[in-house]
Amino acid sequence: MKTLNKTLIGLTLFLCSLTTALSVSAQDTLAQPVVKLHYFASNNNIQYLSVETVTKSGKKWKPLPKQTVTIFLDSNSAENLISKTSTDETGKSTVVIQPRLQSQWNNGSKHNFIAVLDENSTTLEITKAKIVMDTVTADGIRTINVKIMFLENNAWVPASDVELKIGVSRSGSSILSAGEEGTYTTDSTGAVSVEFKRDSLPGDEKGNLTLLAKVEDNELYGNLLIEKKVPWGSAFVNNGNFFDQRTLWSTRFRTPLWLLAMAYGILIIVWGTIIYLVLQIVRIKKLGNAV
Amino acid sequence: MENLNPLPQQQVTIISPLIKKKPVGHSGSLTSEQIIQDLLPQKFGKRGMIWTAVLLIIAMIGAFAYYRQLRYGLVVTHMRDYVSWGIYISNFVFFVAISLVGSLITAILRLANVHWATPLTRIAEIIAVSSIVFASIIIVVDMGRPERFMNLLLHGRLQSPIIWDVIVICTYFFISLLLLYFPLLPDLKILISFKEKSGRLLNKLYRFQGSFWKGTAAQFRISDRAINILCITIVPVAFCIHTVTSWLFATTYRPGWDSTNFGAYFISGAFLVGAGAVVVAMFMFRWAYHLQKYITEKHFEKMGRIVVLLALLYLYFNINEYLVPAFKMKKPEEAHLTELFSGQYAPLFWFAIIVGMIIPIIVLLFKKGRKPLPMFIAGIMIVVGAWFKRYLIVTPTLLHPFLPMEDVPASYHHYFPSWEEWAIAMGSLAGALLIITFFVRIYPIIPIHETITENENAE
Repeated sequence: MKTLNKTLIGLTLFLCSLTTALSVSAQDTLAQPVVKLHYFASNNNIQYLSVETVTKSGKKWKPLPKQTVTIFLDSNSAENLISKTSTDETGKSTVVIQPRLQSQWNNGSKHNFIAVLDENSTTLEITKAKIVMDTVTADGIRTINVKIMFLENNAWVPASDVELKIGVSRSGSSILSAGEEGTYTTDSTGAVSVEFKRDSLPGDEKGNLTLLAKVEDNELYGNLLIEKKVPWGSAFVNNGNFFDQRTLWSTRFRTPLWLLAMAYGILIIVWGTIIYLVLQIVRIKKLGNAV
Repeated sequence: MENLNPLPQQQVTIISPLIKKKPVGHSGSLTSEQIIQDLLPQKFGKRGMIWTAVLLIIAMIGAFAYYRQLRYGLVVTHMRDYVSWGIYISNFVFFVAISLVGSLITAILRLANVHWATPLTRIAEIIAVSSIVFASIIIVVDMGRPERFMNLLLHGRLQSPIIWDVIVICTYFFISLLLLYFPLLPDLKILISFKEKSGRLLNKLYRFQGSFWKGTAAQFRISDRAINILCITIVPVAFCIHTVTSWLFATTYRPGWDSTNFGAYFISGAFLVGAGAVVVAMFMFRWAYHLQKYITEKHFEKMGRIVVLLALLYLYFNINEYLVPAFKMKKPEEAHLTELFSGQYAPLFWFAIIVGMIIPIIVLLFKKGRKPLPMFIAGIMIVVGAWFKRYLIVTPTLLHPFLPMEDVPASYHHYFPSWEEWAIAMGSLAGALLIITFFVRIYPIIPIHETITENENAE
């Protein structure tokens, strides 16, 4: 009986592991390439799409490089073709909406982007929206006013409850928030006001800062960005002489004189001694040969 | 008994002015012929052949691993963006450290008029030369692209400690070589006169190197003066070489390296490992070549006292290096110190401290511990502990940068050397031992002439 039980347990375990292995294997073979689309509107006049090809590996998404994706506007037909694009090594590509599709783009407040990869297609619906930025300085207080509107029945309607970042463009495409909050949300009029609290921030040579308002991956409007230059920063003074100084961090042509004197001094003394000693060997040799 | 040629008269009658005091060791009853016969280089016996063959095999495996590194690049190592100085640099620091013994035994003791160390000077010098050769080689190995080595000199910045290191290593190598060569001249004359024993090829080499040495008073005067100058010069250069090596770390702002004490800490450690290596070599040569009359228990006794002093000094610096930061436990250093004291590196850390310092101190504090065998075991402990200590100085620090490690592959978070790294590191150690082995086969490991003159002096 005991032997039978052991056999049954063993068989059950074997079947379980086999099933698991088969199911994992099936998942692997069934993993389909997927296209992810992201819509971008920069300064209300450049619309483009970011295309990303991925596949599922276990529980994680893995980039699928070198894939050809066909993108259409609204319907899957030749005249609505936006572009046929190939993704790069990281599985990414950027597609700009062609000017020949302008009339179709202007016609309607909502559009569908259709991406076709092999036999799979992905659709992204976008409501046309615009973002406006204005700045006001009153009583020494600097304020950034941002308004987001979307198109409905050929009229611009305020977009409420939209989360966005408002700040200053810094290096590495990062945004330093203009106020104390990381993100802001539009009110019922689609507007949001932020008091600028970044005094003496280094700007360009004239002290200009680039203000940004950015909506990221909104379900309805996609990614919206507006930029504006304002003279609110401190002027950057280019210290051209910085690398010309003789310092420990300069190039090899700008070695500090004290270091040169010290290093060459030591080198001359020590290597002078070594040369002197080698000459002593020559002297010993001469003395020996003379005997 | 082998028929030996009579020793030329002037070799034993003209005594170097450096040798004045009665040495520790042989009683002074040995004849010159007996000393020469005992100390002339000997052919490898069976044990010597096996030892050499094993070293050659290890060195060849290392060479093959280096071929793979040249062929496929540094990717065959497990060094990545964070741990960019791995076992190679640990090995480099170890070699530089051990090379300092040349200045300790030869120069410092000679300048201090300590004559009992005479039989040990050549052992110390050949350890210094072989170590510095492989320190230079291992740094080129670490470069990955050795053909670009010249760029270091052509485009190097004098502000960088790396340039100082290259300069000072070259300088130390030449000084050590000269310090090996000058005292060898009188011995070369003796070796030349025993052509039958050395063979035609070696005799040719001896003649090339020292046929001009006649042992005249003028030659001795120049040679002794040169040795004195070398002894004075090598001390600051030796201090420079290891201080600069320590600055490679200390001038880099990282946990564990950000110390003003690193120069002294490294030098004290270097003297300890060098002295430990000399003790091991003394024991091995004494045993392999039956040199009990020349390397006596008194030598071990005196070396034991030096080693225990150096071990206490190094332990003191270690306490400073670890206790003070641990007392403050600054946040950025916390991960590094915790890892050493009780984390992943704790077994290695406590091994280096306990086995590499504390046990040798305890053993050597007692007179019985300063006998040859306990000294040999303590020496092995010191050398092995010192090798791991260098590994601990380099690697854990690199794994704990001040800025967090983010968005990097998992392999960047830890480091364990690949087989190629181990093979190259072990190959370099075998290479250094091979230099010593071949040196002992060709030249007398105990200075013959100095031993004869000291023996006569003692009489």
